[in-house]
Amino acid sequence: MNGLRRLWYRYSPQLLVGELLEKRWMEPAVPFTLLILVFSVFILTIPGYTSLPQLQQLMRSFPEQGFVAMAMAISILSGGIDLSVGAVFATADFLTLYLLQVQEWPLPLVIVAVLLWGALIGAINGGMIAYAKTRPFLTTMVVLIVLRAAYNKITGMYATELAGASSDSGAWDYLGIGFVLGMPINMFCLIVIGIIAHLYLTRIRSGVHIMAVGSSRKAARHAGIDVKRSLFLAYVLSGMLSSFAGILYAARQNSAGTDTGVGWEVNALAAAVLGGISLNGGRGTMSRALMGAAIIFLLINGLVQLGTHGSLTTAAIGAILLAAVGFNVKFVKNKSKILQKIYVSPNLVEFTPPLSIERNSGTVFAENDRLKDAEAIALDCIEGPEDVILDRNDHLYTVNRNGSIIRFLAPNYEQRDEFARIGGRPLGMAIDRDENLIVCVAGMGVYGVKPDRTVFRVTDETNRTWYRFKDDSRLWLADDLDIAPDGKIYFSDATTRYDLSDWALDGFEGRGNGRLVCHDPATGKTHTVLANLAFPNGVCVSHDGRAVLWVSTWLCRIYRYWIAGEKAGTVEILADNLPGYPDNINRASDGRYWLALVGLRSPVYDLAMADPAFRLRMVKQIPPDEWLCPGINFGCIIKFDDSGTVHESLWDPGGISHPTITSMREHKGYLYIGGLENNRIGRLRLPEADPTWTGSDSYWGKRKQESPKPKLAAARTEHVASA
Amino acid sequence: MSDRRTRLMPGALAGLCVAAAVAGWANTANAADPRADLFQKFQTSVKGKTVAWVPVWLGVLESEWTRVMKAHFDDYGIKLVMRDPNFKSDVQLQAVSSLINDKPDILIVQNPTTTLLARELKRAMDAGIKVIQVNMASNQLTDAYVGADVPKLGHMLADELIKTCGGGKGSGKVAILQGEATAAYSLDMTKAATEALNADKSIKIVSSQPTNWDANKASEVTTNVLQQNPDLCGIMSVWGPQTAGAAQVIKNAGKQGQVKIFVASDGQPADCDMLEQGLFTKNVSYRADTQGEAIVNAVLTLLQDGRPAGTTQYAYYTTNYWVSSKDDRNYCFVVPKE
Repeated sequence: MNGLRRLWYRYSPQLLVGELLEKRWMEPAVPFTLLILVFSVFILTIPGYTSLPQLQQLMRSFPEQGFVAMAMAISILSGGIDLSVGAVFATADFLTLYLLQVQEWPLPLVIVAVLLWGALIGAINGGMIAYAKTRPFLTTMVVLIVLRAAYNKITGMYATELAGASSDSGAWDYLGIGFVLGMPINMFCLIVIGIIAHLYLTRIRSGVHIMAVGSSRKAARHAGIDVKRSLFLAYVLSGMLSSFAGILYAARQNSAGTDTGVGWEVNALAAAVLGGISLNGGRGTMSRALMGAAIIFLLINGLVQLGTHGSLTTAAIGAILLAAVGFNVKFVKNKSKILQKIYVSPNLVEFTPPLSIERNSGTVFAENDRLKDAEAIALDCIEGPEDVILDRNDHLYTVNRNGSIIRFLAPNYEQRDEFARIGGRPLGMAIDRDENLIVCVAGMGVYGVKPDRTVFRVTDETNRTWYRFKDDSRLWLADDLDIAPDGKIYFSDATTRYDLSDWALDGFEGRGNGRLVCHDPATGKTHTVLANLAFPNGVCVSHDGRAVLWVSTWLCRIYRYWIAGEKAGTVEILADNLPGYPDNINRASDGRYWLALVGLRSPVYDLAMADPAFRLRMVKQIPPDEWLCPGINFGCIIKFDDSGTVHESLWDPGGISHPTITSMREHKGYLYIGGLENNRIGRLRLPEADPTWTGSDSYWGKRKQESPKPKLAAARTEHVASA
Repeated sequence: MSDRRTRLMPGALAGLCVAAAVAGWANTANAADPRADLFQKFQTSVKGKTVAWVPVWLGVLESEWTRVMKAHFDDYGIKLVMRDPNFKSDVQLQAVSSLINDKPDILIVQNPTTTLLARELKRAMDAGIKVIQVNMASNQLTDAYVGADVPKLGHMLADELIKTCGGGKGSGKVAILQGEATAAYSLDMTKAATEALNADKSIKIVSSQPTNWDANKASEVTTNVLQQNPDLCGIMSVWGPQTAGAAQVIKNAGKQGQVKIFVASDGQPADCDMLEQGLFTKNVSYRADTQGEAIVNAVLTLLQDGRPAGTTQYAYYTTNYWVSSKDDRNYCFVVPKE
C-alpha cells in the first residue's frame, strides 16, 4: 500500500498536467478540445459523417472561410483589425467570374489580377492605417461599406451576363472540383498557405516584425522595426488572403450572389477570438485562427445537416460561441493561476529521526560554539555570499546577489573590488588549472571569468530529457561545481522546475527535479550525468580525483559518483540521514571534506515530508509567509571523510552571525564562511589545520603563477570569449 | 468474372423460374382485382423512399411547400429530409453536396441563383438521384421543374402596366423591382417584362433594380425612384414580401392609388392583406399550396418512372390567378396554426 502511495506521488499525473499547462502550445487547448468535441458529436449524430465523400465534402467547403479567418488573424496579430475581409472576398469572387467568364481572360492572368486587387484594397487599408494613422476599425469598416455597395451595384449590373456565363476551361474546373492527393484542391491550398503563413509569422523577419508590432508598437519602434511598413504589409497580406479565398470560392460556387461574403468578417472575427487570438494583437497563431474557423464551420454545417431550422441554427451557434469564447478568454487569462494551483506536486519523503544535535547529547553533531569566534570580513559590503573562494594570491572572491563577482584583496580583505559582472545570480565557484574562475549562475548556466576579468560562457544547456513536456535543455538553477583533474567540470543543476527564489517550493516537492551535469571543455559538450536528483547542491571532486561527491539537500544525503576506476559511472550513498540540509562541500587540508548545513531538520517538517497531501493543502490554502519551511536560520559546518563518517561539527547557535551557511573554504589555516542571505563572510582560524594548504595547490599542484598553460584549452576559452 | 457468371447461371435461372412462377401465381391471384395490383405497384415504387429538400430558407412560401409535401409524403410513407440553409448560399451548397453523399431517391432544390447549385445538380443526377427544381431554376436542366411559368408572369405584369400607364393613360413611367438579380425567377420575369414594356413606345422603364427579396432594400429603391420621378405611374414587383416596403413608401408619399403596384407572388396571406388594404393594385398569385401539391405529383411521377435519373425533363407549370379584390381571397393560402 505504501509502495503504491510512493509510486503515485513519484509519478503524480499532476506533474504532467502542470508541465503541460506551462507549454505555450497549451494556450489553444480550449478551442482544440471544442473542435474535437464538435466533430465527435456530429460523428455520433450524423450517419456517415466520417465517410470519405462526406469528409471530402467538408474539406471542400471549409477552406475559403479558413483563408478569410487567416486574413482577419493577420490584421489582428498586427494589433489592428480588418473588417473588410468579407467584402474583399466578395469582390474578388465577382471579379474572378467577371474577368474569366465575361471578359474571357486566361485563368492565370485572372488569378494574378484578382490577387492584385486584394493587395490594392489591402494597400488602401494599410496605407490609411499605417501612414495616415487612421483607426483600423473605422477605416476597414468604411472600406467594407464602400466595397459592399460597389459589389451590390456591379453584380446587379452584370447579373444577366453572369447568370448565363460559364467557362469551359479544364483548369478552372480543376480549381473548383479537383483533388490533390485525395484532398480537395482548395483544402490543399489552405494547408500549404497556412503552413507558409505560420512560418512567415514565426520565422521570417518581416512576419516576426508584424507580430512584434502587434505585441507592442512602442517596443517594436524602439527595437528599430519599421512599424509603418509592417502594418502596411499586414493589411496587404490580409487583402491578398481574402482575395485568394474569393478566387477559390468563385471556382467552386461559380456564383456571385448578393449574400456572398456577407457577415464573413463577423465569422472570421469570432473564429479568431474563439481560437484565442488576443484582440490586443501579437498573441496567437494561424493554426488557432483556423481552429476557430473550423469550429464555426463544423457547427453550421452539422446543425444544417441535422435538419435544424435556420433560425435555431443561428441562435444555437451564437450561444455556443458565446460560451466558448467566454470560457476561452477566462482560460487564457487564468491559466497561470490554475498552473500556480496545481504546479507544486509534493513527493513522499520518509525520514527516520537523525542523530541528536543537542549540546550534551555526545554525538558528533552536538551543538557547540566554535563558529562564535569567527571574525567578520566585508561586513555589510556584500549581499548574499553564497560561495567564497581564494586564489593563489590569497585574494578572496565571492558572489553577490546583483550578479557580480566581488573580490576582496589580501591580506586584510578590506578593499572591495567588483571583479566581474556576469548577471543572473552567481552561486558556486571553482578555480580551474588556468586560474580562471568558473561560476555557476542560477538562471544562466556556467560562466567563467579569466584573470584579466573577461567573462566567458562555459555552457548554458545540456541534453534534453525526451519524455518530459518541459524543455529542460536549458540550465535552470546551476548551483555548485567542481573540476576534475582531466578538466571536466561537474556541476549541479539543482532543479529544473523552479527558479532560485522559489527554492522552498522545490523543497515542498522533495522530488527529483535536479541533475548532475558534466561539461567537457576539451570537446565543448555538456551532458547530464545523473538525472532526477532531489536538489543536488554541493559538488566536490574527491582528494584522489576519482569521484565526485555531491549532496541532495532535500534528502539530507551525501552521494559519491565515481568518475574513474573500476566503479566509474556508479553512484552510491556516502552518508544518509544528516540532521540538517547539506549545501556546498569543499576539500579540507586533512584529506577530509567540509560540508555546510544550510538548515536544520525538525520533526515537524520531517512529518510534513511524509505527508504530501498536507504540503499540497498548505501551498494551496495559506499565504506563503505562513508556510511551514525548512529551518534555515541556523549555522553549522561539519567535516566528513571518504568513508562518509562525520568527524566534527562547528556551530553558531541561533545563527547570530552565520545563519543559512551555504559554503566554507579552507585556505592557509583559516576557514572562510559564506551564506546565501548573509551580509558578511566569516573567517575562522583552524588551529590544527595545515597553515600552508590551499585549494589551488590541492587541485592543481604547488605552482605559482607561471604554470604552463595547455594551449588547446586556452585557445578554446578565448574562442568562447570572443563568441 | 465469366467463370463466376457461368457458375451462377444455373442458380440464377432457377431463381428466376421460381420468381416467375410466384409472380405468375400472384398475378393470377390478383387478376381479379387490377386496381389492387395498381396500388401494389404504387406502394412498391413509393413507400419508404427518401426525398431530400433544400429551400433557400424556411420563409412563409417555403414553409407552405414543406407543409403540403410533408402532409402528402406522410400519407404515402415517403421520408422527407429537409435542410434549412437560412439564406446562406454557401451553406446551401454544402447542404446539397452532403445530401448527394447520402443518396436520397429524389432531391428537391430551390436555387438561389442560376449558377450556384448547377454543378452539384448535375453531380446528383450522375449519382442516380432524380432532381426537381422548384420555382427558382438553375442553368442545369434536371428531371423536373415545378413552379410558375416565370416569363408568363412577367408578361402578365407588363400587360397590366401597359394597360394602366401606357397609351397616354399615365405618365408611362414604370419601375421594376427585381428580387435577387441572379435568381432565375427574378431574372426571367424581369427579362420578359422588360421586353414587353420596351415594345410599347408609350412606356418608359425608369428603374429596374434588384432588392434581394428584402422589403427594406425595396423601400430604399422606391424612395429614390420616386424622388427622381414624382410622376411615376406604376411599379411591377416580382415578389410580394419585398413589395411591402415599396408600397409603404408610396403610401407615405401620399401617392397611394396614384402609383399602381402590380405584384407576382406566391399567395401568402400578407399578399391578400396588402391588396385588401389597397397597398397593392393587383396581385398575380401562383399559389404555394397548389404548387406544393404539384411538387408532390412530380415526386410521385419520378418515383414511379423506372428510368434512371437525368432521362426526363418534365415541367409542371402552375396556374396563376389574379387577385384584385377581397373576393379573390381564396387564391391566397392560409397558414395553419401550429
